[in-house]
Amino acid sequence: MTDPILQTTDLTKEFGNLVAVDDVNLEVEQGEFRSLIGPNGAGKTTTFNLLTGALRPTHGTVTFNGEDVTGLPPHQRVRRGLGRSFQITNVFSGLTVRENVRLAAQAAREGGFKPVEEFLQRATSFDDVNEHTDRVLDRSGLLGRGDEPADVLAYGDKRRLEIAIVLATDPDMVLLDEPTAGMSAEETRATMDLIDEVLSDRTLLLIEHDIDLVMRVSDRITVLHRGAVLAEGTPDAVSEDPDVREAYFGGVEA
Amino acid sequence: MSVASAVAEQVLNGLVVGMVYVLLAAGLSIIFGVMDVINFAHGELFALGAYFAFAIAGPLGGAGFWVALVVAPLLVGVIGMAIERLTVKRLYGRDPLYHILLTFGLVLIINDLITSVWGKSAQPFPIPSVLDQPVALFGFNYSLYNYGIIIFGSALALGTWLLLNRTRFGMIIRAGSEDREMVRNLGINIDRYYTLTFGFGAALAGVAGIVLGAYQNVSPTMGSSVIIPAFVIVVLGGLGSFRGAVVGGLFVGLVQTFARTYTPFLEGLIVFLLMIAVLVVRPTGLFGTSIGGGEHHDGALLHGSGGGVLSSETRAKIGYAAVGVLVVVPFFAELTGVTYSVTLLEDILIWALFALSLDLVLGYAGLVSLGHTLFYGVGAYASVLTLMHVSPSVLVALLVAVAVCAAIAWGVGYLSIRVSGVFFAMITLGFAELFYNAVFKFDFTGGSDGLFGVDVFYGLAGLGIDPREFEVPLGVFTLDGGIVQYYFLLAVVVGSYLLARRLIRAPFGTVLQSIRESEERASFIGYDVTAYKRRAFVVSGGLAGLAGGLFAANNGYVAPSFLHWINSGEVIVMTVLGGMGTLYGPMLGAGVFVAAEDILSSYIEQWQLVIGVLFVLFVIFVPRGLVSLPQTVAEHPMVGPVIRDRTGVKEAEVEQHD
Ligand SMILES: Nc1ncnc2c1ncn2[C@@H]1O[C@H](COP(=O)(O)OP(=O)(O)OP(=O)(O)O)[C@@H](O)[C@H]1O
Ligand SMILES: [Mg+2]
Repeated sequence: MTDPILQTTDLTKEFGNLVAVDDVNLEVEQGEFRSLIGPNGAGKTTTFNLLTGALRPTHGTVTFNGEDVTGLPPHQRVRRGLGRSFQITNVFSGLTVRENVRLAAQAAREGGFKPVEEFLQRATSFDDVNEHTDRVLDRSGLLGRGDEPADVLAYGDKRRLEIAIVLATDPDMVLLDEPTAGMSAEETRATMDLIDEVLSDRTLLLIEHDIDLVMRVSDRITVLHRGAVLAEGTPDAVSEDPDVREAYFGGVEA
Repeated sequence: MSVASAVAEQVLNGLVVGMVYVLLAAGLSIIFGVMDVINFAHGELFALGAYFAFAIAGPLGGAGFWVALVVAPLLVGVIGMAIERLTVKRLYGRDPLYHILLTFGLVLIINDLITSVWGKSAQPFPIPSVLDQPVALFGFNYSLYNYGIIIFGSALALGTWLLLNRTRFGMIIRAGSEDREMVRNLGINIDRYYTLTFGFGAALAGVAGIVLGAYQNVSPTMGSSVIIPAFVIVVLGGLGSFRGAVVGGLFVGLVQTFARTYTPFLEGLIVFLLMIAVLVVRPTGLFGTSIGGGEHHDGALLHGSGGGVLSSETRAKIGYAAVGVLVVVPFFAELTGVTYSVTLLEDILIWALFALSLDLVLGYAGLVSLGHTLFYGVGAYASVLTLMHVSPSVLVALLVAVAVCAAIAWGVGYLSIRVSGVFFAMITLGFAELFYNAVFKFDFTGGSDGLFGVDVFYGLAGLGIDPREFEVPLGVFTLDGGIVQYYFLLAVVVGSYLLARRLIRAPFGTVLQSIRESEERASFIGYDVTAYKRRAFVVSGGLAGLAGGLFAANNGYVAPSFLHWINSGEVIVMTVLGGMGTLYGPMLGAGVFVAAEDILSSYIEQWQLVIGVLFVLFVIFVPRGLVSLPQTVAEHPMVGPVIRDRTGVKEAEVEQHD
């Protein structure tokens, strides 16, 4: 077996008396499509925040690509290939669609910028960044809409842009927090197709409430309940797990 | 007197001043805690209390003081409530910056009203004769009035605490400061409580004003001299914490008093040093619980934009035309004899540069620097000192000014940018005040006189123009050194604008804009947000230093007033007035502000009042600034359709040209 791309040991986050994430040990393999499910308030988003560096764990560690990243701030984890999308759409709404993607491409530019380039050259004059931007826009079906301000996009297109931004940072692994939240069935399918199309070659960790969808797309599923891992395994194994049926399918869906 | 009783007397003096601070800071802190409003006008409400009491007590004679002590705070409370109802209320939910701006306008208004009614000079406000006698206690004599202040102040503070913690009123406003919606959902009309809270805070300030007025005297500057220490106390104690205001107030009162006696050098400095130290170590202040006192507002900074109505081509043309006009003005001035217009333009250009520098942090990086005059002032001092001691070359002087300010900005940014929002604003204010007070202390900065009498040389190593010897006869008139100074200034300002524009369009600037849009998103695509903000702050500090250096070199002097917080306020006003987040907006704002100030002050005595009123209206109704006016007009339901048709045509034409 290859080394896992992402690994946590005893990851824990306490908010006062509340243990939002409780001794979580995760191992995600390279290229895997993993889903993280659990009822509202189970600690899924908090886990994401610990993985991406938005929050510091109370204790425990996060290892990414063999490196302990527990103490690193978010931007350094992104630079090491850990991208994320947000549960609440978070794009640069005052900027155009193209500029949104270009900024991400600019951040991921190989070798960065020399000072003269960084401070004095026009940001739109770097061919490699522009090409990368175009490629991402094209793949995410936004090429024709590059000049529109992001805040006039329809909800589904904003989520699409959100994914395009993540894609533009060229991540090895992407954490997706409910990318289809609030979408119609139609939009959900389009978005999942998009994820499948543009991100299928990366390792994915998905938070999703739509169980059918999760069952369909995941390689493995981790079920969180009150901050702790309740079960983990293939979709079939998890759906037959009595604890999961009891705590999750039994409780919430009924 | 023995050492012990001398110390005891100092302690009592410190407690007297401390009590005044407690009353002042408590109101300020409650208003912030409940409504997230940073009330710069609190000092003026304090002064109003003193003046009302002065006006009431005078004619009534003996018992007048006691009547005034009750009536004056009530009047101030009513004024506070009116201010809340008419102005502050309209800005709830916006970024705290807008409250700062609004209340800054109110400072101008109230202060001008005070001077126009009671005059500019300080006046004695006698304390009641019953209290005006020493009592012997603990083996030494001490003024009964001062004991009175300590006892009365403690009683009021206790009363306030009881009000906040033991009454329904207090419960509701404390709940409201935690969760506004929840209180609303309980069917409580929270708006009414906001008004009452503001009135109550104002009344407390009024009491503090009376107490201090009778302890010293009443003067129109009493408000502006206490407001900054009061802020320091609120920040030290923890924004919104009543306990913090009490402990902080007494502590600062004691520290100031002891410093005055035992370490005069540190007087005026120590308080700011303490504040900076506390914020660096514990950004929530001593008793503050959350960093987020000011973070649960939902508003963002509102940026101006000329887009939509004026195409970028049109704007470029207007820009060229403006520079063209600036180039020919001196000739017209010579021809018509209105040379004064050149002096005014020089002022405008310098403030335009200063506003541009602020905009890089305020408009682009979203950092509210309340102490930007720190860089303006230090730039001025650095430039004059260089001219005096190093080289008469203005180029060298400006280079030093920029370098010194950029270095200081790096240091200040290093310490303060990791704390957010309101705290950043307060730390920058603290640093500016620290430097302001420091220049009084040293010989090399010329103390309170400042430094003057420097000559400048426009060139390097003997190559260049000496303005004193410059003379070119040109037909009917002669060009003299003044013209060299003007064109040099114009070139530097236009050059700085072009440089700033380059920066903003370069990768660096685009990242700043992304940070302004969403800090979280920017860091999650891989940008080190803090590092970018620091860099922006360094560039901004350097440019502000350049502005200060230019002013000092042009006018041949520098004085402590260059570092006064009023400048920081004015430059924010200009930036917002013009429209932050665009580079030309703040420069336009500077032009309008300086010109308006100049014209108004030569025709009307109450010009501050007029500017204050205009500004308050502006913050409420046109927060996006002058540059947004075309768009605001275009979107107006009545004129909208007409203009849209016309610009629609224009844009179509532009596209064809491309
Ligand atoms: N910053 C915070 N401070 C205090 N408590 C928090 C914080 N963030 C989350 N929590 C609490 O931690 C628990 C887990 O929240 P989290 O957002 O991780 O759940 P989730 O699984 O993502 O839920 P959902 O499906 O609703 O998105 C919740 O009880 C939440 O209220
Ligand atoms: Mg969540």
